[in-house]
Amino acid sequence: MTLKKIVDVLTDKGANFCDIRKERWESTLLTLKDGKIERMVSGEEEGAMVRVLFQNGWGCVGTSALERLNDAAERALGMAKQNDRFKSEETGLASIEPYTGKSYMPAEIKFEDVSFEEKMSFMDELHGSLQRDHVKTIDIHYKDSVVQKEIVNSEGTHVEMQIPRLITYMIITGKNNGRIQQASEGVGGTGGYELKEGVYEKVDTVLNRLHDLLEAEAAPSGKLPLIMDHHLTGVFVHEAFGHAAEADLVVSGNSCLENKLGEMVAGENVTIIDDPTFPGYGSFPYDDEGTKTRRRVLVDAGKLNDYIMDRESAWKLGLEPNGGARAEDFRVKPIVRMSNTLLKARDMKMDELLEGVDRGIYARSSSGGQVSPAQGTFQFNAQVAYLIEDGELTKPLRDVSFSGFTLDTLKNIVGITDEMKTGVGHCGKGQTAAVSDGGPQVLISEVTVGGR
Amino acid sequence: MISESVKETLEKINKSGLEGDVYGIESRNVTYSIKKGEISDISDSEEVGMGIRVQKDGKIGFAYCVPGKEERCVLKAKKLSKFSQELDLTFPSTKNVPDVKTFDAKIKRAMEGDEGIDLTQNMLEAANGVKKDIIPTGGGLKLMVGKIVVGNTSGTLLEEKKTKIVCGITATIKGEITSLTASEADCSRRLDLEVETVGKTAAKKVDSMRESSSIETGPQTVVMSPDAFSNILWFTLAQSISGENVRKSKSYFKGKLGESVADSNVNLLDDPTREWGMGSTGFDDEGVATSPLHIISDGILKNFLYDLKEGVRSNTESTGNGIRGNFKSPPQICDRNLVLTGGDNKTDSMFPKDGVYIDGVMGAHTSNPVSGDFSIVANPAWLIERGEKVGRLDGIMLSGNIHECLGRIELGNDHRRTYLQMGARDIKVELPSVRITEMSISSG
Repeated sequence: MTLKKIVDVLTDKGANFCDIRKERWESTLLTLKDGKIERMVSGEEEGAMVRVLFQNGWGCVGTSALERLNDAAERALGMAKQNDRFKSEETGLASIEPYTGKSYMPAEIKFEDVSFEEKMSFMDELHGSLQRDHVKTIDIHYKDSVVQKEIVNSEGTHVEMQIPRLITYMIITGKNNGRIQQASEGVGGTGGYELKEGVYEKVDTVLNRLHDLLEAEAAPSGKLPLIMDHHLTGVFVHEAFGHAAEADLVVSGNSCLENKLGEMVAGENVTIIDDPTFPGYGSFPYDDEGTKTRRRVLVDAGKLNDYIMDRESAWKLGLEPNGGARAEDFRVKPIVRMSNTLLKARDMKMDELLEGVDRGIYARSSSGGQVSPAQGTFQFNAQVAYLIEDGELTKPLRDVSFSGFTLDTLKNIVGITDEMKTGVGHCGKGQTAAVSDGGPQVLISEVTVGGR
Repeated sequence: MISESVKETLEKINKSGLEGDVYGIESRNVTYSIKKGEISDISDSEEVGMGIRVQKDGKIGFAYCVPGKEERCVLKAKKLSKFSQELDLTFPSTKNVPDVKTFDAKIKRAMEGDEGIDLTQNMLEAANGVKKDIIPTGGGLKLMVGKIVVGNTSGTLLEEKKTKIVCGITATIKGEITSLTASEADCSRRLDLEVETVGKTAAKKVDSMRESSSIETGPQTVVMSPDAFSNILWFTLAQSISGENVRKSKSYFKGKLGESVADSNVNLLDDPTREWGMGSTGFDDEGVATSPLHIISDGILKNFLYDLKEGVRSNTESTGNGIRGNFKSPPQICDRNLVLTGGDNKTDSMFPKDGVYIDGVMGAHTSNPVSGDFSIVANPAWLIERGEKVGRLDGIMLSGNIHECLGRIELGNDHRRTYLQMGARDIKVELPSVRITEMSISSG
């Protein structure tokens, strides 16, 4: 039975809405540890997710048994009816024009045309370029994947897309005075094997970072001014602001940005964008509900201008959906996710940011963070930092974490440089999503720094 | 179905004159999600798949597939094997494994009927019933049932059925500018969770956060709940007890076997045989029989964790710690059920005259897994005055080093199992509340 026929049967049985997302994945994952292949994984899988809305209840079934998709559809309908019995709040989907179309995102060099030998040789070469006296271990990770998706819904949407992605990153460690330190850098994007070339530009960066970390001292504690480099700015706009702008959290009462549309949430110098059409690791032509994606200006000169929305959250907010539904794979339902999240550059130079700081921290690159969108609090860890004294970088610092309240911190952004850089990563929200984020370098007048 | 596929694949590997092993999984999860005080949707997810390792000329190749694609997958694994290092793995011939309780048929039955939705509803109602302005804004309940099959060309063919129930709820008090939130969660392999207690505890926790306090930056005595400390412990210690990281000098514990690495009261055990433990199993994902492993005994470092591959490289035996995140991943070294014991202090009497009580942390995954340094947000946290919890502390940061902490840690008697899924990682630690002096606190 075709996807369309299954959808028709569900509609005949009383579903208000249903859709099926069928996916086929192929991926290769390689890990080189200290010059030796540690992990080489290749595989393929396919499956589908059926979603049914019956009255106010949702039922969703993900399965790899495509030959039994009819059964999955029946089960999804049964679950939607079961859910409806316990629902008091009305549920609906914002209307969109049905989309039909195919979009194959381009890859200059297709992964299938590159032999394992060539991929190995790339990793060997990268390993060689990282060998230095101060480097004790070198891990290199490479992953390419291609997903083909077909989405059919009961309103006439029928889209197909193909998304190729690559990510490669290096982790190096060193030891000094018995203390082991670690630095990492990576590149990635939506495209083909050509994307790996960018990693060579990061070699010196990661080597220098490890060198500084080995000499670094413990950071001071307390409230201090802090400059974030491009990477940390990206992580900040993604984690601290972006999650709170996800409309599923807004409508469920889990966001500090609830009821703030149109209000000033940051200084006039701050503009934040989430853009699935920007060429990054988090790009996609249609979201996982089949909605065509578009650029979303979340904060426009300090004013909260938009949320990231799927169709259900847009319906609850009375707004137009903007292609924010993403699912990790066919096993799970789509939820609201970011794509490529960016803080817009302004006009200052780095020297000008430093000039304004008597004693503070310059934090570079991130080793992760966590956020509570409801409380509007965040925590980030910098890979390395530098003490700023009288506008000068005086010494490297290790284990620098900082935290604050998103809305206070956005208003405390007092300087933004004029050049943009982006990074890549994986965002976790119960499911994993490929994302990019970035921006210029940014001076925050005060955050809480947790040193030792 | 998966058992047949694993057997057929092993026959194909044997017929090709190769060695190898096959890991098969067949599982189903049903999730009841909570949003804004009610069940927002029900999701069902099935997974069937196999990870195939093939050894040719002592070199291992790995590929994964769904049943029906075995032939192509074996060929792909064989092709990949030529790129790997020669290892000459001996696949274990495992006949006897410990009988570990991991499956409760009641969970399987609950998936089929209304019991799952009833349990979720009960948890919600318990949270809703505490105070009118406290809303359960998020959370859910998940029922899981699955079967793992591990076989190899040395004649091992093992099967184990598993069940799990995990539930959690976030309770919120809406504020003018920001909201107060608190969460509670519990997990089990049996259908024995007190879901109402989970709902009530979350609501009462957020209710106790209404008053705020403040604290100066500086050293403080800190009491941490099992949930808060399990996060810190896992992210700062788990990598250091891996035999691979020890061999590669990426562990603080390298060269410290037999030495004192913690207070003499501290014991850390990895026990996969623990009855109904969240990570319990009779055999690991490489078909090695499991047994309890003492990592730290009375403060002395005793053992590290090994899988088959690292066993060869480190010239020792696998400890049964070869674990796969899913069928698409080859085995990696990981703990099963970490159990921290060694104190018998009544948790109530552990409160200092002045200090900080911490029930959760943010950003533990950003800790330095090699050095053990951490600098994270304590949330929720309360000020302790005259031995009593008073107002909540907003935005405070907690910093330290796990190895220094273990030297001056005191453990309570309120042991509980904690379980947290962070990406592909399952964090499973049983431990009590702890008290640590001289912890660095940065005021919010």
